Amino acid sequence: MSVVFSRPRFRLEPYVEFAKVAMAKEATYRFDVFTNIASVLVRVYILRTVWVALYAHNAAPSELPLHAVITYSTIAMLMSLVMDIDQTRILRDSLHDGSIVLDFTKPMRVPLYFIANGTGEVLFHAVLMIPALALALFFVHIDVPSFGTLAAFLVSFLLGYSVGFCINFILNCTAFWTLEITAVQFIVTWITDLVGGELVPLVLFPAALQNVLVVLPFAAMFSTPLLIYVGHIPPAQYAGALGLQAFWLIALGAVSVVMWRLGARRLVSQGG
Amino acid sequence: MKRLKAMARAYREYWRINVLTTLEYRENFLMWFAFTIVYHGTALGALWVVLTAFPSMNGWTFRDMAFLYGLWMLAHAVNNTFFSEIGNIPDHVHEGEFDRLLVRPLDTLFQLIATPGQTFPDELILAVSYFAAATWYSGVHVGVLFLIFVPLIALGGALIDLGINLIVGTLAFWFVRVDALQWIVAQLEQEFTRYPVSIYSRSVRLLLTFAFPFAFMNYYPAAFFLNKPENALALPPAVGLLTPLIGLAFVSVAYAFWRFGLNRYQGVGH
Repeated sequence: MSVVFSRPRFRLEPYVEFAKVAMAKEATYRFDVFTNIASVLVRVYILRTVWVALYAHNAAPSELPLHAVITYSTIAMLMSLVMDIDQTRILRDSLHDGSIVLDFTKPMRVPLYFIANGTGEVLFHAVLMIPALALALFFVHIDVPSFGTLAAFLVSFLLGYSVGFCINFILNCTAFWTLEITAVQFIVTWITDLVGGELVPLVLFPAALQNVLVVLPFAAMFSTPLLIYVGHIPPAQYAGALGLQAFWLIALGAVSVVMWRLGARRLVSQGG
Repeated sequence: MKRLKAMARAYREYWRINVLTTLEYRENFLMWFAFTIVYHGTALGALWVVLTAFPSMNGWTFRDMAFLYGLWMLAHAVNNTFFSEIGNIPDHVHEGEFDRLLVRPLDTLFQLIATPGQTFPDELILAVSYFAAATWYSGVHVGVLFLIFVPLIALGGALIDLGINLIVGTLAFWFVRVDALQWIVAQLEQEFTRYPVSIYSRSVRLLLTFAFPFAFMNYYPAAFFLNKPENALALPPAVGLLTPLIGLAFVSVAYAFWRFGLNRYQGVGH
């Protein structure tokens, strides 16, 4: 790289502070918080009604009984509270208004700053999952799996979240080269919701499509943790499922690092 | 009369600027058009997957649902093409730009609707094409009644859409930030119009028929044209043709609320 950053001893505290500030910022929009939770409730009601109507008039598919599919969709909706956040939007914003130049002059590692900021935002929304879940239980019954399954689900969710984070970071990194990418981000989000199994479990897709979709990174984001939760992926297959998620995380993590380096270099070579 | 002429001139100018802006930002336009296609494509894709696994939803097949979706898409596209600026009321209020509209010698709501942006009838063209295909696919009989009423129903549906957006936008006079509410209302409209209303509980059906008449955007007209034996509230099938009237009534209520808010609007202190 053309610029040598001075590297003071790494301290974690500033990044924890960045995350706290981001969290506090999210919490100021109370009306938004309230409407968000209300919307989860209505959507849980809709999804229950839709699945009940479908199972009432057709032969139930052997893959997923009604209670499992309702559990699946409810957990998917709660997951989307954190998965659908544009965590590294601040990277794009600071590229747009030029403040990224100032970020580089501060004694911090810029990507870590972006990550801390996004994490704070996400943690706030993760906390919101608790009241949303509690209220959702008035409308639906959710299966609670064994402790081992729950632990595997949490690991898988974390991997899936990280995969989503990398995809989001890569998309926001493209702002180094091109400025307006909101539409592209929307396109990726909408496609992810469908082919990642958030809207409809992938096991209900026609077999030929399923075989392709399960190996894509989008399935690693939603489908894998959810299928572990409802028991469709049995413990014997955990290693393979989590391994595939880890593969995508490493691959997309590598792409993220390369994108960041190229982007930062371009910024420097243009004189900021 | 003079005033109408001024409005017509302003409105022509509005479309001229829209088209020129769209031509200027061509890549951007194409990306958003691609998103529009993906948006409707994923919605239909999800319906297709579900109705491949489960061939019937309360007696509605994928072919029926494709038509149901087409009617909503048509109304929604009319609204997005002609009234999209209503969704920006909160921004106008927030930035203080709204005050400028109040001192100009044309109707405030008209000025809002005619605020140039990058509006282009791309979604409307897509919706009309899709609707034609869905009509053929679902085997709906295209007669005189169909040809007369479908445009009116699309217009009435768009007025329902406009009405709800106007009500939410007017709330910004009091609450300023209503982004989340706007997003959620849009999402709920989209979800409640996707499936036959008959799957919901009676209270929700009543709500969707009489309070937030989303059911008139597509469900009742679709049930009529598809000759469905039942409809959600055991109303005569011909209620499906009432959409234009319902749209007018609903938008009138919304307009009254808008006037009420406008009279009490005090600005955000710019």
